[in-house]
Amino acid sequence: MNRNRKIDFMINDKDKTEEYDVLVVGGGIAGEEAALNLANQGYKIIMVEKDLSIGGKMIHLSKVFPTLDCAACITTPKVSETARHSNITIYTYSEVKGINKLNGSGFMARVERKPRYVNEETCTGCQICEEKCPVFVQDQFQYDLVGRKAVYVPFSIANPRIATIDMDNCILCGACEKACPADAIDFTQEKEEIPIHIKSVILATGYKLFDPVVIERYGYGRFKNVVTAMQMERQLVPTRPYNNVLRPGDGKMPDNIAYVLCTGSRDATVGNPICSQVCCMYSTKQAQLLMGALPMADITIYFLHVRAFGKGFEEFYQQGRSMGVEFIKGKIGKITEKENGDLLVRYEDIREGVVKEAEHDMVVLSVGILPDIIPEDMFLKERPELDPFHYVMQVDELSNPAKTSMKGVFVAGAASGPMDIPDSILSAGAASSETATYLRRLS
Amino acid sequence: MKNNIGVYICQCGSNISDYVDVEKVRDEVSKIEGVAIAKTTMFACADSTQKEIIEDVRNKKLDAMVVASCSPKLHLFTFRNVAIRAGLNPYHYVQVNIREQDSWAHSDHPAEATLKAIGLVSAGIARVKHSKALKSIDIPSRNAVAILGAGVSGMRAAIEMADMGTEVHLIEREHFVGGRTSQWSQLFTTRQSGEEVVSGLYNKIINNENISLYTGAELLSMKGSVGDFKAKIRIIPRYIKADCILKDNQELLNATLKAINACPVEISDDFNFNITKRKAIYKNYHSEFPECPAIDYEHCTKCGECAKYLDAVDFEQKEQEVEINVGAFVVATGFDPYEPEKGEYAYAEVENVITLPQFKRLIEMNEKELTYRNKAVKNIAYIYCVGSRQTEGKNNYCSRYCCTSAIHAAIHARNKYRDINNFHINRGIRTYGKQELLYEESSRNGDIYLQFDEENIPVVEKQGEKLIIKVKDILTQEKELEVEADLLVLVTGMVPRKHSKVSDILKIPLGRDHFFNEIHPKLKPVETVIDGVFICGACQAPFNITETIKSSLSAASKANALISKGKIELEPTIAEINPEQCSWCGACTEVCLYDAIRKIGHNGKEIAEVDESKCKGCGMCLPVCDQNAINLIGYTDKEIESFIDALIS
Repeated sequence: MNRNRKIDFMINDKDKTEEYDVLVVGGGIAGEEAALNLANQGYKIIMVEKDLSIGGKMIHLSKVFPTLDCAACITTPKVSETARHSNITIYTYSEVKGINKLNGSGFMARVERKPRYVNEETCTGCQICEEKCPVFVQDQFQYDLVGRKAVYVPFSIANPRIATIDMDNCILCGACEKACPADAIDFTQEKEEIPIHIKSVILATGYKLFDPVVIERYGYGRFKNVVTAMQMERQLVPTRPYNNVLRPGDGKMPDNIAYVLCTGSRDATVGNPICSQVCCMYSTKQAQLLMGALPMADITIYFLHVRAFGKGFEEFYQQGRSMGVEFIKGKIGKITEKENGDLLVRYEDIREGVVKEAEHDMVVLSVGILPDIIPEDMFLKERPELDPFHYVMQVDELSNPAKTSMKGVFVAGAASGPMDIPDSILSAGAASSETATYLRRLS
Repeated sequence: MKNNIGVYICQCGSNISDYVDVEKVRDEVSKIEGVAIAKTTMFACADSTQKEIIEDVRNKKLDAMVVASCSPKLHLFTFRNVAIRAGLNPYHYVQVNIREQDSWAHSDHPAEATLKAIGLVSAGIARVKHSKALKSIDIPSRNAVAILGAGVSGMRAAIEMADMGTEVHLIEREHFVGGRTSQWSQLFTTRQSGEEVVSGLYNKIINNENISLYTGAELLSMKGSVGDFKAKIRIIPRYIKADCILKDNQELLNATLKAINACPVEISDDFNFNITKRKAIYKNYHSEFPECPAIDYEHCTKCGECAKYLDAVDFEQKEQEVEINVGAFVVATGFDPYEPEKGEYAYAEVENVITLPQFKRLIEMNEKELTYRNKAVKNIAYIYCVGSRQTEGKNNYCSRYCCTSAIHAAIHARNKYRDINNFHINRGIRTYGKQELLYEESSRNGDIYLQFDEENIPVVEKQGEKLIIKVKDILTQEKELEVEADLLVLVTGMVPRKHSKVSDILKIPLGRDHFFNEIHPKLKPVETVIDGVFICGACQAPFNITETIKSSLSAASKANALISKGKIELEPTIAEINPEQCSWCGACTEVCLYDAIRKIGHNGKEIAEVDESKCKGCGMCLPVCDQNAINLIGYTDKEIESFIDALIS
């Protein structure tokens, strides 16, 4: 397919409309699992991912609880299986617009492909353009810990592993164009719209992380050594930016790290009264990994309740405790920064019933997860109902957990609620099963 | 012999390269004769590396591949697929494990770990040199499944698989389906009743011609292997004719009630977790399906009293054994509630101490006012984590559903009856996700939460008529508080099913928590190491109903993918008999665990023959053969000897 064609979008232009059985929105672990299950049953799938690579959040994680195997080892084979499956067509850096239910014959929609300004077919991902590009910006895939160039391959295990020009920051100097040995840079690319006709939809739009900037008293954004758990996660992965765990303020190796659980979860004041289900465990996991990376460091986890509920989780929590991670039942009032960049954590020690202050040289906010809100324009008229927290509502949770209020539209993974990886995979299994049943009844 | 070999040494991020000097390994093995190319890579399994390997194979005309990375359990098939895509026979690929068997095991000795890696990779290269091109064995598969357990998990999987065109044998030990869900009234978080959920599923099952439902049925034995299992099922008689359906038949219903009334046998009613009695003939609850009474085979004295009222009673029914032939099993045998020991929080010693499941039945049975043993109940105390998160005792795990379930029951009780006070004596409430809202609702209702540590467990005392629970409450600086309660509910967790022969018969491995174990929680969450045997629901780990259904739908879709194509591809790495050398002694059949070797005639003599569909390639038969007439394909003497030579040289 010529990916650079420009088409005038017309909904009744049958020749240009691509036909599929299932549209999977989102290429994270849930979307991949659902797509693979259906593709292996012979259904034709279109997967649309808004980011530059499939793999979702999982591909950015280090080791995962409670087994501590490396996330990349588990997810990259799924990513590449999805990418090369003959029944799956993937559009990355693309968005779904205007899903419209037709009378009795599925849905029409448009895939809006954003220009990469790089020819996907010819780019080899050699990164010579990156070397030549003079523009530095913060790297969103390293959660702003380090910089990248305006033309960049998103990350080393990205799929597709090709370059993109970030036009918001590009100065149009043309250095990349001159350097590219494959002649793949194309500043004339424009947005492209592809009409699609599908029989059913799986929403696997996942989650986004809570932005702790809104909790001013924690000082995130003002105090350099207050980071989010995802920023710490990135420091623990093999493709980590500093090849070591360092505090961002001055590059010192931290030796006294605090975790603040329930940051942005179970907190009505920030509009998210529910529990995020994963933060207790990922914090316990990071604490264990940190004890390996920084054997001399003290790790303290401030918690309200430790929710180690899944298979092997309680055992994993007890393992963390026995390794020497300190768990303090305490509510954080305020964090202040000292001149040397260390942090004073003021908290209520619930067991002792007193307010205390503790000094740490780095504070990790265990941020909760929020639904990645489905954009208004993804659906044209009818749209699936959301629950009070803006997750996709499950209308028959106890018998058909993937069913939504809209016939033919199903939900998988964290789009329906906070969920860890094993739960997301089972949820995607349910979504693919229910979708297959729906498709069989259609034919 | 292969002499143009590509070798790839994976860093696995840093999992391997932190301890093994991968550059040194590469430099050493690239000197080996026959190695055309040796490289290191950050993630061998990443798509970009896979592409690179394929290009190398094509451009350099490689004839074999070795990847030194993690366990073949994880990625053997990933790289075999790379070989196929590159145009190589997948059996010209050998995976060397330098992670689980090297870097992780010897993280304290990096220099030695590097030496070991060199040895292992050299051995892998030596082995791949003698590799032979092989083709997988296709065996026919029956598109039929046996689902063990007709709780919500098994029923949901049955419906799904039957819809996909699979012949389903749904096997339930009890006379009624629905499992635990039929015993619950209101369910969180949808507040549907168990009856609604179970009846919805049951109606779909009886109207589906692809499903055969067996009640009072138990798996006796299993033979064969994936694609072609033969299972024996024992069915105990119901002693009631199958056409006795009470639904919409008032006359029959009245007759049944009279028959039940007339029965002189009284036994504990396990539907109510033994807080009430039932008769030997029974059908006491709306949520019991099929809507046909049953007679308890074990306890009935065959006195004939019930038969005076109910014509459908039929004592002529006999125990039966049926054999079914299926391609796969889905095991959905569920859980048992933890049964506290006598004296555990005064259980079975003080009468108003009950378990959470009993409490839930109590709420269901008491309409206007909550009473237990004829005494009004106003103050209810709940002690959490009974039988879960044990520090002494074998249940170290958290049972996942109980916090939410107990809070939900407490809310239900408060809404249903007047003046109820709830005291939750817990070890940290775990209402994860949206279930948090129930915790919040209960707190708003004025429920009291006290928290204890595993070091200071509450003490239950009986003072006259009163029940006093003493708690060292960590929320009030460990003050010792006393809760006076009319009823103490022990919030009991889930334990694996007692007396489950299923794991013995199907050989499903158990995890540390004694629940059935999946292969991998993320990669193969419903598969077991026994090919063709899937697990789902609470037999695998504590789950709530939604989570159970998700896993049962996942299992249905994986089982369907395996058996519905009519054939299953099996590994060609099986035993092979050399007919010239074999002179039939029978030693091999005696040690074969899979019944895969039989005697045949060959050129006027008797020799052994291997059944391709049954042989697992375990190699048990090789060492017992006096004549050395058996070879294991893919692990021939030549391959293994050269492997060992390289390892020790």
